[in-house]
Amino acid sequence: MDYLVHILILFSIYGMLAISLNLVVGYSGLLSVTHAAFYGIGAYATTLLMINLDLNFFLSLLIGMVFSGGTALLIGLVLSKFKDDFYAIASLGFNVIVYSIMLNWQTLTRGPLGIPAIPRPSLFGFSFFGNFWFLILVLFFLIITYLIARSIVNSSFGRVLKAIRENELATQIFGYNTKYFKLTIFVIAAVMAGVAGSFFASYVSFIDPSTFTMHESIFILSIVILGGLANLRGAVLGAFILIILPEALRFLGLPNEIAAQSRQLIYGVILVLLMLYRPQGLIGEFKLK
Amino acid sequence: MQLILNSFIAGSIYALVTLGFNLIYSTTKFFNLAHGAMATVGGYTVFYFSKTLGLNILLSVLFGLLVAGFVGYLTNKIVFKPLRKRGATNMVLIVASLGLLTAIESLIAILFSSQFQTLSNNQVTQKLFHIFGGVVTQTQILIFISSIIIMLGLMFVLKYTLFGSAVRAISDDEEVAKVIGIDTDKILTIVFVVGSIIAGWSGILTGFDTGLTPILGMGLLLKGVISSIVGGVGRVGGGVLGAFMLGFVENFGIWYISSEWKDAIAFGVLILFLVFRPHGIFGKK
Repeated sequence: MDYLVHILILFSIYGMLAISLNLVVGYSGLLSVTHAAFYGIGAYATTLLMINLDLNFFLSLLIGMVFSGGTALLIGLVLSKFKDDFYAIASLGFNVIVYSIMLNWQTLTRGPLGIPAIPRPSLFGFSFFGNFWFLILVLFFLIITYLIARSIVNSSFGRVLKAIRENELATQIFGYNTKYFKLTIFVIAAVMAGVAGSFFASYVSFIDPSTFTMHESIFILSIVILGGLANLRGAVLGAFILIILPEALRFLGLPNEIAAQSRQLIYGVILVLLMLYRPQGLIGEFKLK
Repeated sequence: MQLILNSFIAGSIYALVTLGFNLIYSTTKFFNLAHGAMATVGGYTVFYFSKTLGLNILLSVLFGLLVAGFVGYLTNKIVFKPLRKRGATNMVLIVASLGLLTAIESLIAILFSSQFQTLSNNQVTQKLFHIFGGVVTQTQILIFISSIIIMLGLMFVLKYTLFGSAVRAISDDEEVAKVIGIDTDKILTIVFVVGSIIAGWSGILTGFDTGLTPILGMGLLLKGVISSIVGGVGRVGGGVLGAFMLGFVENFGIWYISSEWKDAIAFGVLILFLVFRPHGIFGKK
């Protein structure tokens, strides 16, 4: 039972990451490989505020969101100059830079040592210390993220995003400032990733930079593409599959090190196979052409 | 002085990766991120033959190059060729190559563990050379000389042979090249094999110089991508210049700041170039 709760918590965190990245990759057609950077910034900001300033989790979460969003605004301003494959390469570069800062700004982040003993959330004297209550909380946030994302994609704003994805020039001719739209969705997605990061930090109670590398970004991207581009339920489905799968490997009795590598092997192969045979993912509505 | 030598050596390694990467880019026009995996494959093949099987080192290196070339051939045959036939965009190709890179590197990590391993023999200490008041090892001299030879050789081939004209024709316009009777599939296959062998060579040299880890290819690849963007992507000569520039910027950068910031500096250069000179220092559109 405890184990099931653990899996569901992980699933909820990755669900948030996948939903938010799908807004950028699936709906807007921007191949971002830097999502783990915002995930990490959210995690670090919340952690540092809770530990150094003794702030409440929810207040730290809020400030962490501001930090992720603010960084995304700066990075997005630069990224908005690029298209397609150059966008992917540049975004990947930002992931490495952010990772490098987490690793080397040792006075703030303690570098590779990481930060231990991150507390669990509590509100009005009620502590979400037990895993079950933590799960309820994070599921609640997953649902909120899903609902917000759904209202975005169904709004006129979301339709403009899809129009940009299909033909940016034509959308500009209709008088839309496409840069503004791309930047806004990028920031929104980063804020959501920051929320996921805060929950991750508080759940595992220890963070170090190795969680937020570009490999993690590629992993989140695999979830989105596997589940389905431009389909929010697809993102949730993809998160479910790619979180359960490595757990199944653990039952095969593989050592931890090999299990971790097998996970990477599997999602690498999945990416290649999807590109070859099903570029829209399992239930996707948009196909990378 | 040591700093300048280090910059040249780092630049040479980056130049090797860039050469293969740019060669493939010039004909296929997409970022083949799986290219980095060939460096890992080359390095670990040599490790397997020379350390695990105890084979002669020269023979192992030969096998390493062959296997790297063969894996490069397979990636093209199984993944990239069918995708191009379908008319896939660069987005699909880049995601597929990202998947390949991840899959190959983790497969190697499963086979050989992700521990740090070295190719050079511990018993025999490397010969050191003193040049202009700096110290370099035998391997590093080999790195420098071989990268110059490969660069000049490749440029000669591209400029003066029939194969070279075919490559240039494809890089100008693949459709037209096909129309005038160039077997583009065959040329692309050769390009992939040659590019992968060069990448394998860079991985082997790194293995002798500093050591092997499964993620070695990813690191080399990223430097290769940066170098080729700095030098003008798809331009073989420009990429080499970019590689040496990157070597200098990195080494002088870490002299001013500190060595942990090497990657951040490299990617800072990348972003600056992408923003201000997306077509490289020569700025040809």
